Amino acid sequence: MSIVFSFMLGFFAPIYGGIFYGIDRVLKAKMQRRKGPPVLQPFYDMLKLFSKTKFIVNAPHTIWMIFYFLSLWAVVFMIFFGGNLLYIIFGHLLATVFFIISGYSVNSIFSQLGSNRKLLSVVAYEPILIVNAICIYLVFGTFEISEILAAPNNFNSLVFTFLSLLFVVPTVLKLSPFDASKAHQEIVGGIEVEFGGVFYELVYAAKFLEMIFVYSFIFILASNDYIFGTFLVVFSFFAVALVDNSTARIKIDSLLKALYMYGFGLGIVSIFWILLCCI
Amino acid sequence: MLHIKRFLKKSPWVLHYNTGSCNGCDIEILACLSPRYDLERLGVLNTGNPKQADIFLVTGPLTHRCHDRLLQLYSQIPDPKVVVAVGSCTCTGGVFKDMYNVNNGIDSLIPVDVYVPGCASSPELIMDGIVKALEILEGK
Ligand code: SF4
Repeated sequence: MSIVFSFMLGFFAPIYGGIFYGIDRVLKAKMQRRKGPPVLQPFYDMLKLFSKTKFIVNAPHTIWMIFYFLSLWAVVFMIFFGGNLLYIIFGHLLATVFFIISGYSVNSIFSQLGSNRKLLSVVAYEPILIVNAICIYLVFGTFEISEILAAPNNFNSLVFTFLSLLFVVPTVLKLSPFDASKAHQEIVGGIEVEFGGVFYELVYAAKFLEMIFVYSFIFILASNDYIFGTFLVVFSFFAVALVDNSTARIKIDSLLKALYMYGFGLGIVSIFWILLCCI
Repeated sequence: MLHIKRFLKKSPWVLHYNTGSCNGCDIEILACLSPRYDLERLGVLNTGNPKQADIFLVTGPLTHRCHDRLLQLYSQIPDPKVVVAVGSCTCTGGVFKDMYNVNNGIDSLIPVDVYVPGCASSPELIMDGIVKALEILEGK
């Protein structure tokens, strides 16, 4: 990929990420036999947030959140420039930690509860991401995304990695049943609760970037077969939307158990699968 | 120049608060969000968070205990905002009128933009009220 093209993909990530988010909302509405909002609804929301009164609770709260958004965006740039998978995972972790600190910096109970839960869910999904990165290394012999995307397709050895990543996607995107850190009806959005107006906009756009982050992990599993990669992404998009629509939220401790047992377990199985059957 | 204000109309986020109603109107509001009426096609989102809301949907005759909370919620919603009073008891006190523990409607406390009558008011009426509120929101 040329540098200009990668730069464009990274720079416009919040824009086409918004379109994905809109499609996601329409898809979920269709699954519930509703008409659903227009596909461009996320942009209407964002433009509306511009015209609302601006207010901040305290300066650190907002500044940490801006750090979160910017570092997440940097991670997305790293993905499109074909960076190192481990740097990307840790960059994303850093961004998430900024967000968690931002949640702790206000006195609101919901915000603090949201931070606690977000921290626990990071503890749950981060090892899975790392185990899966190791699997990818075992198969392709490299952590560089640009080299992985050039390697021949070897999806057979990564089947379990794919299954284990399916547990990470809803946790990072805070979707049911793993949405305890957001829990809209229970803790009113968790960390998001104290943001309003134009500052909520960044939190909203960060959702699009998170989406690009997790789905790009799934995309690289297909290495140089881009069509198959797109198929994997579309498949997991549908599967995650279906599960989000049809399950209830589980408690944060059940989330930890479920992710360690199935997500992490599948990651370990994947390592053995690759070592014993594929190499 | 992009007229940002007109997007207010396309993405109204709703905060719903019950000031001691019998729950009849609240159920009708939830019915509005169900597949049959599907308010989300107008971009409506039930946020439950005053800091991100545009439309304040209030039900109930405003009991004395809800006084402070209603004021707090109202002042936390960033401008521009509209208030929709859903149900007869929210508009005038309705069946609870002149009881010892109620305030006969919320307009004794906060300015109301749209009054939706009915006990309980139907989903069609509530949707009408919200669409009316969107017009007012655009003008604010
Ligand atoms: S208007 Fe009637 S149905 Fe609605 S909340 Fe009041 S008493 Fe209940």
